[in-house]
Amino acid sequence: MVIVAIIVGCLIGAFIGINAPTISYTYSSYLAIAIIAALDSVFGGIASVINKKFDIKIFISGFFGNAILAILLTILGQKLNVDIYLAAIVVFVWRMFMNLGTIRRYYVEKWTNKIKSLKSNKDNKQAEK
Amino acid sequence: MKHIKKGKITLTIVIGIACIALTTVMFMQFKMVNQTDIDELEVMREEELRTELAEWKNKYEEAENQYNSQLAKLEEYNQKEESETETAELVQKELDEVNLLLGKTDVEGEGIIITLKENSEAESGIITSDNLNMIVNNLKEAGAEAISINEQRIVNMSDIVTVNDVIIRVNQQRILTPYIIKAIGNQSYLESAMSGNGSEVDKLQKLGHDIKIEKDNKVQIPKYDKDLKSDYIE
Repeated sequence: MVIVAIIVGCLIGAFIGINAPTISYTYSSYLAIAIIAALDSVFGGIASVINKKFDIKIFISGFFGNAILAILLTILGQKLNVDIYLAAIVVFVWRMFMNLGTIRRYYVEKWTNKIKSLKSNKDNKQAEK
Repeated sequence: MKHIKKGKITLTIVIGIACIALTTVMFMQFKMVNQTDIDELEVMREEELRTELAEWKNKYEEAENQYNSQLAKLEEYNQKEESETETAELVQKELDEVNLLLGKTDVEGEGIIITLKENSEAESGIITSDNLNMIVNNLKEAGAEAISINEQRIVNMSDIVTVNDVIIRVNQQRILTPYIIKAIGNQSYLESAMSGNGSEVDKLQKLGHDIKIEKDNKVQIPKYDKDLKSDYIE
């Protein structure tokens, strides 16, 4: 059910995005940083599901809060003539890789366990024979 | 059980909304990045614009410098040309003056016209080149600026000679009676020099020749129409 929601949401989002009016190039850097922040939240969410610490409130607040905060930081950086968005991107991408590492390790362990159990089952069956 | 289901529905909806938001923004960004031309002025970042501006400024300054130097050169050429025309004008003016003095141009001015009609029955017979020479000399003395005999301009190399005691030649051209001598100069000086007692004209008149002296404010004297050669002057 959640997967269906994700697929349907993605399709609707893609449709809206394609048909939406083109925004000015000036705001593209803000939008890009918001996307990075949102993606970081998504991977964080998946990692927290794996770790069984998932909380919808934390996920949603992180999803929108991080995006908005990243945009605000970028604006502040432009006002101060400091490229703060670079720091934000570094942090977000670093966290994305950390979360991806967690997810990968979880699935690799899961699959190795499965293969191991399959093999042991086979051995047991052979032994029984 | 019901509580769990309710929680799951809200979770689904919330995640769906999050997905919608994320993909919408992503696709908007994709579309925008695809559509924008990175070299267009409107979409450039401030730093890029700044460097571009500096470049153009440099180019502009360079071009301006070039333009100024070319302008200065042009000005120089113009001045040179101007001075050259001035010189040319000056030379032309001098040439005109010299021509005027040499008798190479037609001239006009106040003066007198003397008409000598030979009277073959006069005591001393014909008018000779000596008479004409004398008259011309007298005119010169009286300040004549241009003289002609029968439309032959008298210049410094003009000859007035008698050939075979009959023919009078001026500028190697035969002339016949009546002799019309024109002179440009101060009218009263010329006239008094001509008609004064004891003058050449007076003498001829007394000898019986028909002589007339007229004043004219517009005496026209033609130019010397031969070449002023200088084959032997070194």
